[in-house]
Amino acid sequence: MTTSTFSKTDEYGFVRPDDFDYVEYEKFMSVYLNLLTNYSMKWVRLLLNNSQMKRNAKLKKFVRTGIPLVLRARVWTSVSGVQKLKDRYGPDMYKQMLRKPINEDIRNIITVDVPRTYPDNIFFHPNSENQKTLFRILCAFAACNPEVGYCQGLNYIAGLLLLITKNEESCFWLLRVLVENILPDYYSKTMDGVIVDIEVFSRLVKKKFPEVSQHMNDLDMPWALVATKWFICLFSEVLPIETTLRVWDCLFYEGSKVIFRVGLMLVKHYKKELLECEDIASLAECFKSIVQRPFPLNCHIFIKQMFTEIGSLPMSLINDLRRQVSAERDADKSTYKNRKG
Amino acid sequence: MANRAVPQRPNGQTPGKICQFKLVLLGESSVGKSSLVLRFVKGQFHEYQESTIGAAFLTQTIHLNDVAVKFEIWDTAGQERYHSLAPMYYRGAQAAIVVYDITNQDTFERAKNWVKELQRQATPGIVIALAGNKLDLNTMRSVQTDESQTYAYENGLLFMETSAKTSANVTEIFKAIAEKLPKNETTNTAGQGRRLVESEGANKSLSSCCK
Ligand SMILES: Nc1nc2c(ncn2[C@@H]2O[C@H](COP(=O)(O)OP(=O)(O)OP(=O)(O)O)[C@@H](O)[C@H]2O)c(=O)[nH]1
Ligand SMILES: [Mg+2]
Repeated sequence: MTTSTFSKTDEYGFVRPDDFDYVEYEKFMSVYLNLLTNYSMKWVRLLLNNSQMKRNAKLKKFVRTGIPLVLRARVWTSVSGVQKLKDRYGPDMYKQMLRKPINEDIRNIITVDVPRTYPDNIFFHPNSENQKTLFRILCAFAACNPEVGYCQGLNYIAGLLLLITKNEESCFWLLRVLVENILPDYYSKTMDGVIVDIEVFSRLVKKKFPEVSQHMNDLDMPWALVATKWFICLFSEVLPIETTLRVWDCLFYEGSKVIFRVGLMLVKHYKKELLECEDIASLAECFKSIVQRPFPLNCHIFIKQMFTEIGSLPMSLINDLRRQVSAERDADKSTYKNRKG
Repeated sequence: MANRAVPQRPNGQTPGKICQFKLVLLGESSVGKSSLVLRFVKGQFHEYQESTIGAAFLTQTIHLNDVAVKFEIWDTAGQERYHSLAPMYYRGAQAAIVVYDITNQDTFERAKNWVKELQRQATPGIVIALAGNKLDLNTMRSVQTDESQTYAYENGLLFMETSAKTSANVTEIFKAIAEKLPKNETTNTAGQGRRLVESEGANKSLSSCCK
């Protein structure tokens, strides 16, 4: 990990962008590396006492402060309910799914998407072992969940899971747990879940930062333009990698509401800048640039603030809003149908 | 060689009229929508262009005589299931490029469906161009030029075969759209050169947006 500050690629194999702010990054890393060492020791002690990783306030707090890389795959698997899925479907499921044939269209689109997944990552070079593994995981997933099959965006999620777990089967199960348990209907054939959540997000912004909401309206900028990728890719390919992983730590433990917090934190922190944009082009540009700024890059502060500065965001509120938005959509659909006769 | 977009305003020329248009790209996944935009906006081509999730937004300005035409480009995701998001993106668009891949007949059928949907549901009077992309793969062609040409003619579409890879016809197709868009002077009360269209969604018809 220590070499990363000086390298063109980070420890996950991602090539840093040309305009990468090494100075800012080094400043952050010099503090963060100490923190990590400190936390690693605490984690080891925690896991000695709670080897089953039973959910409790202490574990939650630890997850929010970040899971050490070496423990990440293990903790994600434990806290997210993978074991329950495995118990239900049997440990051989992955191997069975690899043999199950899938729809040819789906196979084709996966074939096209695999080489387009993190093409700049050194571990995903053309014909690399990882590309072949990713192909198998996505096909097995499609076989196992024909409702979803394959949705573009899952390639990035599975790809990042693979980089972290370095284990094909773990990756498959974590992908399942995300798609089938943690996120409501994001990747299905109609993508209803993600459309609803983008609208829920837009209402949360309206409630918490009405000026921003008004400004988006005035400039005719739909949240879907910005937030679709946030929700579908779970901030991979959006936020700096370390920050994305810290978000995923919380996501696996706490569920989908975490995504709203991340979005709200970005809006809150960059509110002034967003409001200064005078047209949709500069607003779109602003959204693209803020996610790579020093504030989100400093994942430690970012994650901490996202839990302290946004106020409460209980799952019950999110679920109420989801129900409300779904009901409105259903009503809209039926009036539309009636109008068309 | 990279055929850069029509040059930025030549030195010394006084700024003339500026027209701003919203343009949306639609079409099946991996036909080359993002590649066309990347070629047009940055003069680049990536062998492994990442698939677009949701939509991407870019702008590019071209010059027609004394008019600067600024395109607000909305590049969308092509997979069928992203279809339900599409109306949010093409709402209020004054122009569209519907893209297919000349080596893949299915993508042409999909393009026709997009054209139908736009003609039914998008801004009335929207300028639609049909792009048969990957012209450099001519030897693997499965959609004949005649067939698309006839279809485009019958449906009142602009039509070109393009290659984002070699840049053939890329700037040309945007230019042809710019030429077809209405650029007559309108009194703009919205200030800042904002568009006048689309305040009522797709119900209002196309109007120009110059200042
Ligand atoms: N040979 C050739 N390849 C092309 C051309 N245009 C695009 N490609 C390739 O086709 C693949 C898909 O291109 P994209 O631009 O990502 O296609 P898209 O339509 O944006 O795809 P989605 O974002 O998934 O909807 C990439 O690997 C490109 O390099 C072309 O004109 N010729
Ligand atoms: Mg694309």
